[in-house]
Parts: sequence; C-alpha cells; structure tokens
Amino acid sequence: MNISLILQQFLNGLSIGSVYAIFALGYTLVYSILGIINLAHGAIFTLGAYFTYALMGGRFGFNGLLANAALAVQLPFALALIVGSILAGLVGVVVERIAFLPLRQRGSDPLLTVVSSLGVAVVIVNLIQYLVGAESYTYPENTYGNLPPAINFGSADNPIPIRTVQVVIFIVSAVFVAILTYFINNTKHGKAMQAIAEDATTASLLGINCDRAIVFTFFISSFLAGVAGSLVASSVSIAGPYFGIAFGLRGLAVIVLGGLGSIPGAVLGGLFIGVVEAFVPAQYSGYKDAVAFGILFIILLVRPQGLLGRRLIQKV
Amino acid sequence: MKKITVFATALFTFSNLLLAACGNANISTTTTNNSSTKGVSAAIPIGIAVSQTSNVALLGQEEVAGAKIAEKYFNTRGGVNGTPIKLVFQDAGGDENSAINAFQTLINKDKVVGIVGPTLSQQAFSADPIADRAQVPVIGPSNTAKGIPEIGDYVARVSAPVSVVAPNAVKAAIQKNPRLKKVAVFYAQNDAFSKSETEIFQKTVRDLGLDLITVQKFQTTDTDFQAQATNALNLKPDLIIISGLAADGGNLIRQLRELGYKGIIIGGNGLNTANVFKVCKALCDGVMIAQAYSPEHPGEINRSFRQAYLQQYKTEPPQFSAQTFTAVQVFVEALKSLDKKTKISTLPLKQLRIQLNKELLAGKYDTPLGEIAFTPEGEVIQKEFYVAQIKMQPNGNDGKFAFLK
Repeated sequence: MNISLILQQFLNGLSIGSVYAIFALGYTLVYSILGIINLAHGAIFTLGAYFTYALMGGRFGFNGLLANAALAVQLPFALALIVGSILAGLVGVVVERIAFLPLRQRGSDPLLTVVSSLGVAVVIVNLIQYLVGAESYTYPENTYGNLPPAINFGSADNPIPIRTVQVVIFIVSAVFVAILTYFINNTKHGKAMQAIAEDATTASLLGINCDRAIVFTFFISSFLAGVAGSLVASSVSIAGPYFGIAFGLRGLAVIVLGGLGSIPGAVLGGLFIGVVEAFVPAQYSGYKDAVAFGILFIILLVRPQGLLGRRLIQKV
Repeated sequence: MKKITVFATALFTFSNLLLAACGNANISTTTTNNSSTKGVSAAIPIGIAVSQTSNVALLGQEEVAGAKIAEKYFNTRGGVNGTPIKLVFQDAGGDENSAINAFQTLINKDKVVGIVGPTLSQQAFSADPIADRAQVPVIGPSNTAKGIPEIGDYVARVSAPVSVVAPNAVKAAIQKNPRLKKVAVFYAQNDAFSKSETEIFQKTVRDLGLDLITVQKFQTTDTDFQAQATNALNLKPDLIIISGLAADGGNLIRQLRELGYKGIIIGGNGLNTANVFKVCKALCDGVMIAQAYSPEHPGEINRSFRQAYLQQYKTEPPQFSAQTFTAVQVFVEALKSLDKKTKISTLPLKQLRIQLNKELLAGKYDTPLGEIAFTPEGEVIQKEFYVAQIKMQPNGNDGKFAFLK
C-alpha cells in the first residue's frame, strides 16, 4: 500500500466515520435522557433518506403502492436534506408517543421499551417496502450542483482522487456536530436536557418539563438519523428498505466504543470505526464488521466504560 | 450494570431482527389473484418461489411480474385444455433457508404440480434438492450458475448458463474497440453466481488473447469501492468486467466513472436489470451486457408478452420477467400435452408430478426467448443471444437496453 492510497483511505474513513458519528449521536441523546437504546433509529435513518429522495422530486418505481408517484416539488439537495430530516424528526416524535410513552407511564422495565422500539423498526421497514418497493433509488445527477465528481488531493503526477460526495459528507456532518454541541451547552433547551440526563426527578422538581424535553430529544435524535441517511444515500444510493440495518448495528458499536451517553465519545468512536474500516483491505471487505467489533471487544476489555465514558458520566 | 444487561439484550434482539429481516419465510404470502379462475379446486396449482422480500426482491419483483402476466395470458387462452392454472406465490426471501421453506410449503401444503424458482443460484443449490427428493419438477427462471440442472432429475432451467451467454459481451467489446488489450475484472466473492460468472469471463479474456491485469474482489453488500477502483485504475485498463448484483454493481460503475475511468465496462448477468439505472443513473451509459432475451425478438408470443408488459408496467420487459413467463409457459404446455395422453384430472398428484417432469423435458417450446428445448439433464437449449448497451437519457432518470446487431 503506497502513501497516496493510505491517505486516500484515511480521508474516506473520516468521511464515513463522520456519518457514523452523527448517527450515533442520536442513539446517545436518547440513551442519556431515558437510559434506553432506540432500536428504531436505523429505520428512521432509512426513512430520512427516502424523504429526501422524494423531496428532490425523485420518482418511485413500479413496485409498491405508490408506483410511479413523485412529488410536485423539486427542492435542491440542501433544502430537501433539511426538510426530509425534519420529517424524520417528526416521525421520531410519533414513535416516542406510540412506542415509548405508554410504557414509560406504566413504569415498565427499560427492556420492554427496547423490544417495543424493535417492533417499530420492523413496521417501518416493511411499510417502506409496501409503499415504494424494494428497488434502489439514487438522488438526481445534480445533487451537488456543478461540483466535479472527484477532487484531486495529490499532484497531477501522483493523483489522490477523492469523490466530492465524501468531502461534502464530512463537512456537513462536522457542521451538524458543531451546531448540536453549541445547542446542548449554550441554550436553555440544551441545559434542560443536561439536567434531565443528570437526574430526571430533581430536574422536574426544579420546574423543567420532562415530557417536553423527551419529545424534543426524540426529534433531534431522529433528525440526525435523517441527515445521516440522506448523506449516505447521496453517496451510495438507497439500497432498499433494509439499507439502515447495517448502520443500526454500527451505531451501537460506536456509542459503546465512545462511552455510553457521551457526546464527544460518539464523535470520536464514529471517526475511529470509520477509519479502521477503511483500512481493511478491499478484498476482505466482508470482514469489516469483524474488525470493527473485534476492536470494540478489545477496548471494552481494557476500558469497560468506553473511550470517553466515565463512572459518573456527564451525560448529554 | 443493569444498563449493560439491557444493552446486551438489546443487541441480541437486534441481531434477531436481522435474522428475521433476512428470513421472512414464516410470513405466508400466498396470493390467488386470478379473475378467470372459476373454482379454486378446479384450477391447477403451479408454485412460484421467488424473492419477494430482502435485497434480492429487486430481481424477484421482476419475476413476479412475468409470472402474473403468464397466468393471465394462458388462462384467457383456455389454460390447460379448458382447466385454468393458478399460481401460488411463496416468498423465497434472499437466503437459502427462506427458499427451502417456500419450497416445502409449496410441495406439502399447497400441493403444486411443479415449481418455478428460486431467484438465485445460491438458493437453488439448497432448495432444489428438496423438490428433487419429493419428485416435484422445478424450473429455474434465473439460475445461471454452473451445475444447476445436475442437481437432480427433477431440476431444469430456462435461464441459459453463463458459460454460453457471457463470452458474447467480450467479443462485442473487442468489436467496439479492436485495440483493447488490458482487462481488469471485478467480482462479488460472496455470491455463488458471480464467482462462477467471473471464471467464465476470465477464461474468455485469456482465450481471446487479452491481458488480465488485475482481479479485484468485493461483497454484494459493499457500497464503497474506491479502494478497488483506484487499485485497478492505476494499472490503466481498457476494459473492465464486473460480476455482481444490481446495487453493488451500479455503485461500482458510478465510482469508477467518478474516479475518471473512460474505457468500456461490461456488466454480468446480475446487472442485467433496469434497476441498475436507478443506481448509476447517467453514469450507466454505455455499459455492455450480454442478454438471453431481447424485447425486440420477432416471435408472435413475445409480441403479446411485450405488449401486455408495457401496458401494465409502462416499461420494457426485462430478461428475468421473460424467463419467468417462459418457465410458466413450459409447465402449461407440458401439462397440455400430458393431458392429451392421459387426463391429468385422473392422475394422483405423485404420478402427475413424475409424468409432468418427463413430459416437459421432452417438449419443444416457442417462447418469448425464442425456440427452446431441454437436454435430458434439464439444461436449456436456446439458439439466440444478444448484447445490449445501456443508453441513458441525459438527465439520467431513465434508460434502456439498446440491442447491438
């Protein structure tokens, strides 16, 4: 492996790792507030990608209930990404109301909530296939306007071509991480979320509306899933309704690696797993998961709380 | 500690979801959508076990479409000497277990006379032996790997093997660019069909005196091919040959083009579907694919089939639809000729299945694929093959296979 290939793979790893990071942040937020893992997160990721596709004016295939349907609007990618992710966020809120709230009010074991979210995931995935079929969908040609398809990071003699998509994904993800960090640390809503993560009972005694904060957390979490789904789909197409499952698993690995409930941990874990995967030689790509989970295993042996997890985690 | 337990359980449940997602075999998807059937008991049940869910559904959906058109077509023309046929659909999913379950349900519960399926060669190697042991005739609509008819006496296929179809594409590429010399080959190493296909391609390349400069492997589940693409492009190939499926193959084509490859690309049979258009869009343009079917075939039955397909789905019929139509046709015509010898309503099911198998292997059929027959092992004998080149609209939203002469 020569130096330019190493650099190329490193940049590719950062790009996919940044998507893992924003996806895993969604898991982390919900975990911090409720202490549970929302297994519908991968399905929301998929849904966000389909929303963005539809908002860009994409037409659906002939299988499924919505055969040949297309929206009248044709939003540019940036706008479709935001609106599509907001829709994904709203679906997240609905999921919370239907699958999480009733169990929480009954004071059920957190495990039941996890199972309930799993049910939601199955429903969403099958609903997608029922509505728009199992075909792949790719965002329109002009997704990134007039940017060239690849950018050369090397010289003319020794080119290190990186697909423009990868660079855009990295930048957009970085921007969203920055916005989220600012939001959590510098706004009233963000501080309320931190307080609830610290101790929900005390927070509500101090006048914080827990229920509203939970709804809000689900919105942000699902919004981020929608962003991640749309970004990945803009790079490699929507492979079908099952598209988010692999990301769902990868996201779990990322948050455990980074430390459950830790935001910097999710970012670091995402980038780390992305880069490690990129260095698995291409012909062994089937072992990417094995390498990622193997490293997770080793790190957990040495540091059971994850990279940035602490005994008393400063959650959110 | 409790949280860790919850998490561990969550992970476990999640992996179960994965299994459930891959193996939807328990969900029965029997459909009996047949307006021309009068009494269900009177209709002759033929099983269709193709992939209706999982990521293989991409191909399976086309097969379902072909089968449904066949059902309507033959029933409006009197079915089997006056008795209508009834297609019984069981989802063969994307893996071996689902295909086995679908086969078993069709054989034991739905009591079909024969089965069309499964979608993938990989599935056929595990599901077909079950039908063979139960002495139920199987016709593979899209299994093109080496060794399928050899599975057993009751296994036949209408999909010509890759060893016959694939070399045509390489010859067509040489015609386009007589100076081409350096060939890079890509294949999906986790797919039985792609592995068998790439061996044929590599042999063809060597037999034609071209240089095989590199062989790159990937997985059908991969989405990022930049490493393989860069490795191959550094060697400056004139021709790239890809054996994979639609989603991965489409992404690979897209990334090769984005990284600057300008030469000819040949796609294998797994990319032989309009679903590829949706993945690589305008960048699919020019990809050459060998075909066992052309919508422009002049035969009468193909004209009717193409017309019905266009009317219903607003697009040209793909090869998999035509092959599934053909598989149903073989069953119907074999049942007809058997019925003329011995009334099939008088035969017990076991006898009917055995006789039907003999009958179908002996027949000659005028199908949308042209005239076909079978060898005694059940291998299809087909005369005409084609090479098509993908032509995309400039906006990349739609395309078609343009057939080369």
